Amino acid sequence: MAGMTSFGWKRKVGEKVTKSAVQQFEEGAEEPGGDGPGRGEEEADWLHAIKRRREILLEDCVLKSKRLKDEGALLAEEGRHWEAIKKWDEAIQLTPDNPLLYEMKSQVLTILQEVFPAVKAAEMAVKYRPLWWEGWQTLGRAQLNLGEVDLAVRSFQVAIHLCPSERTLWQEDLPWAWKLQKQHVATREKIRQEEETKNQILNAPELQQDYDFESDEVLAACVAVAERQARYEELQRTTVVIDSEGNIKTAVNAEGESEDAATPTEQFVKARGL
Amino acid sequence: MSTQYSILFKQEHAHDDAIWTAAWGKSEADGSETIVTGSLDDMVKVWKWSDEKLELQWTLEGHQLGVVSVDISHNGAIAASSSLDAHIRLWDLESGKQIKSMDAGPVDAWTVAFSPDSKYIATGSHLGKVNIFGVESGKKEYSLDTRGKFILSIAYSPDGKYLASGAIDGIINIFDIATGKLLHTLEGHAMPIRSLTFSPDSQLLVTASDDGYIKIYDVQHANLAGTLSGHGSWVLNVAFSPDDTHFVSSSSDKSVKVWDASTRACINTFFDHQDQVWSVEYNSTGSKIISAGDDRAIHIYDCPM
Repeated sequence: MAGMTSFGWKRKVGEKVTKSAVQQFEEGAEEPGGDGPGRGEEEADWLHAIKRRREILLEDCVLKSKRLKDEGALLAEEGRHWEAIKKWDEAIQLTPDNPLLYEMKSQVLTILQEVFPAVKAAEMAVKYRPLWWEGWQTLGRAQLNLGEVDLAVRSFQVAIHLCPSERTLWQEDLPWAWKLQKQHVATREKIRQEEETKNQILNAPELQQDYDFESDEVLAACVAVAERQARYEELQRTTVVIDSEGNIKTAVNAEGESEDAATPTEQFVKARGL
Repeated sequence: MSTQYSILFKQEHAHDDAIWTAAWGKSEADGSETIVTGSLDDMVKVWKWSDEKLELQWTLEGHQLGVVSVDISHNGAIAASSSLDAHIRLWDLESGKQIKSMDAGPVDAWTVAFSPDSKYIATGSHLGKVNIFGVESGKKEYSLDTRGKFILSIAYSPDGKYLASGAIDGIINIFDIATGKLLHTLEGHAMPIRSLTFSPDSQLLVTASDDGYIKIYDVQHANLAGTLSGHGSWVLNVAFSPDDTHFVSSSSDKSVKVWDASTRACINTFFDHQDQVWSVEYNSTGSKIISAGDDRAIHIYDCPM
């Protein structure tokens, strides 16, 4: 009984693929020249046909994906970015493990200022091809746009380690990201100093003691607190600046200058030849 | 004494990020075995290998942008390290103190290698020059020009006669150290050569490339003596055993392979890493192999003697 059921199931599958697969199968089988398969070997031939059909479908997917990829690239060149992404998303449906699609998508998402999806797409590119330096470069650029400076520096380091002769990485990507990273570190340190000074003003150690109110000690404590207050005000007035040689300096703010001088606003990413 | 290849020890999470380089040295002074590792996390770590385990001795700070290469002087006293910010640093392994920091200039420090007398350190540069720094002076003493591309890998022959360099375009150059003359230029591989090593008798040169192949050259005649396949991806590092009989390779296919130098057959494959294996070395007797890579782990293997 069991044997019969299993036999019937195979037949059913075979019948389902008949129309399209049989034709392709028979064409394929006749190519080497000679007889098509005899009717007697039917069962093994059905399995063969199914396998071939799957191969043909996969080849179809790869070809179609390639066509969509190229169409997307043309659209991107014309500045039709969202349409390009639509093509590549269709291509990704067909070949979900092709890193090129994710990498190009990330570049265009970056241009569109879709910063988080750009990072996600580039992450897929390096996941599927971890030795591809361009994938890491694109990931680094996307991370930089998202403000993830530390991650961006790391991605550029990995890219350089994979392909140390690539000049754009040395001359543009890494120095720029590294400069921003230093700036971030210096800014964090300044905020920490400011907080600390502020806390000490509010909670001055000199005033915790029991003083004889007539003594010089009180005067000295007051002077210390006043100095700290001045230091705090000065810290608030300064901004962290990095000069062209990458040295960190603090500068007193010009009047009316905004506080967000440290955040990059220019668009850094250049689209490479798609 | 082991009779077969086996993994002996694993140090998981040895660094906070990928380990790009490792070296194994032996102190002439007290016979202790020291391992030095360098990582994308900017740290150089010094480990003591004793009682079949690793003990962290020093964490050396100072490098920026990732440590690309480390080497240990032949008397085991000094370590050299290079990083992506183009600085070469020398460390006293006994005290864990920095001895010198040398700025090699932009993009001009990749692989570092001590000369056999440990008086010099050679490093490749992006314009195809091999720069030789004095350990004592801390300055660039001279350079050898390949007139080629970015030099990724450097090796001195143990007899002190030759220096070989491997470039990003797959070209190998062999210099006569005494005269500074370029003896041979070999079109070894079509892809980057990330590592090369001489046999201890200085007769053979073994190269590792992104093309997935390992090649063996007869140094004196500059003949190709063999091409070995077996790795499924880039070959990242090669090292010879001290007794001339074997060499070991590591790859981005996550494996470490041991090869018989005379039959050129792969006699063992370790598949213990989770990610690319950037570095592989023998200890001074050839009884152990160390490997390290992107999975942040250091592995020590036993070799049959």
